[in-house]
Amino acid sequence: MATTTEPPTAFQFPPHYSFPPFFTLQPVATTRSSQLQSWSTFIQSYCRHHHIFSLSLIDALSTPLFHNTTLSRQLSLRDAKAILTWMASPEGGSRAEFISSTGNKKKAVDEGEGGRVWIYWRRPEEWAAQLEEWVDRTGQKGVVLTLYEIVEGEASVREEFAGMDMELLRMSLGVCVKRGRAQIFSSGGEGEGIKFF
Amino acid sequence: MDRRRTPGLSSLSSNRLQTHHYTSHGATLRSRNAQSLETQLSVFQSLVHNFALTHSKDIRANPAFRAEFARMCTALNIDFLASSYHREAKTSSKGGKGGAGAGGESIWASLLGGSVHDFYFNLGVTIVDICRSTRSENGGLISLSDLRTHISRGRAIGSAMTVSDADIEQAVKALEPLGSCFGIVKIGHRSLIRSVPKELNTDQSTVLEAVQVMGYVTVSMLQLNLGWGRPRAVAVVEDLMADSLVWVDCQAGENEYWSPAFITGGGLR
Repeated sequence: MATTTEPPTAFQFPPHYSFPPFFTLQPVATTRSSQLQSWSTFIQSYCRHHHIFSLSLIDALSTPLFHNTTLSRQLSLRDAKAILTWMASPEGGSRAEFISSTGNKKKAVDEGEGGRVWIYWRRPEEWAAQLEEWVDRTGQKGVVLTLYEIVEGEASVREEFAGMDMELLRMSLGVCVKRGRAQIFSSGGEGEGIKFF
Repeated sequence: MDRRRTPGLSSLSSNRLQTHHYTSHGATLRSRNAQSLETQLSVFQSLVHNFALTHSKDIRANPAFRAEFARMCTALNIDFLASSYHREAKTSSKGGKGGAGAGGESIWASLLGGSVHDFYFNLGVTIVDICRSTRSENGGLISLSDLRTHISRGRAIGSAMTVSDADIEQAVKALEPLGSCFGIVKIGHRSLIRSVPKELNTDQSTVLEAVQVMGYVTVSMLQLNLGWGRPRAVAVVEDLMADSLVWVDCQAGENEYWSPAFITGGGLR
């Protein structure tokens, strides 16, 4: 997990979190859909608060996110996978994506167990827009930035993308490139650089 | 010489004169009384007018203040909510006591520019909105306190408002003429807003009542406490579950059925 600096304020758990049945996927379709929606909102705000960009399913099961120790209720692996699958679907707003090690998307869902998942509390397109806005705001257009500088540099310490997962950053910058707003080039060994224009 | 003791016919005429004077004086007094009452009323009315105008923000914003204001109006036999759509009836009932008031239009509509009952209509719309959006979660039954937290949180920016339970009841009542299925049902000690045209049967309300007390029920609890057979208990909770009125929790040994009203209240344990 890409946890960086722990925010000083404690995360405010939603009221659903202290409702025992919330940790059992409801069998009735309408209830279930509202439950999935609540889970999705909860997971996104949790990840946003803790600056988590991707989850490893197995490890996440024992974290406070999926395990409420005061209630001794825990989401089962199967249910957690169901929720994330729903989040990854268009119906769930594509707020998650299974990361595959082989590059095959279909397979990534099946891998499940040890699988890692992007949690898109901002989607790559939204990150791209935010990066562009940041570059614009700080007058760094036309300047060559290293990727490391973007996520770890002093200029971005207060930004939401500080400490961002490199892979996600590359995906987001890829969107910028596709839009014709930036260009990525590698400077040989020193890591990649990017120029916005 | 004592004039009052005049004997003879002349005394008769003076007597008549006296009564005449008395009656005319009485009439003047009465009319003066009525006049002063009328002035008082119009003064009072303009005062209430000014009051409502200067404090219309408070009336909207402060539930305690609004309740007091409403109480004063009820004490004066003025139903300011009804005044908007029973305009005719209002004016006639007003005519008796208000006198100088309302020519043709209800006092409150003209005084407050409709802001007070607008307030309740707005609240009604908000309530409908919340009931609809939470229906899949709670099956169309939402507790008053729940609704209040939703309202105070507000959906859009600036739409948050503080309201009292009485306000909500008033607003739900205001929805009734629309012929919608909105209503208030009492289960146990709690009032719930019902937004589905569903009638609960006795078994279902009994179970829901038990749920309100404990937070949850299990099939064996129902069997023990109500003396029901297992099939009956199972059938009722499954019915309730199908309507999203209870949520199931499978991690406690025996399945527990929780009321979604406890989502905002937090778990009981």
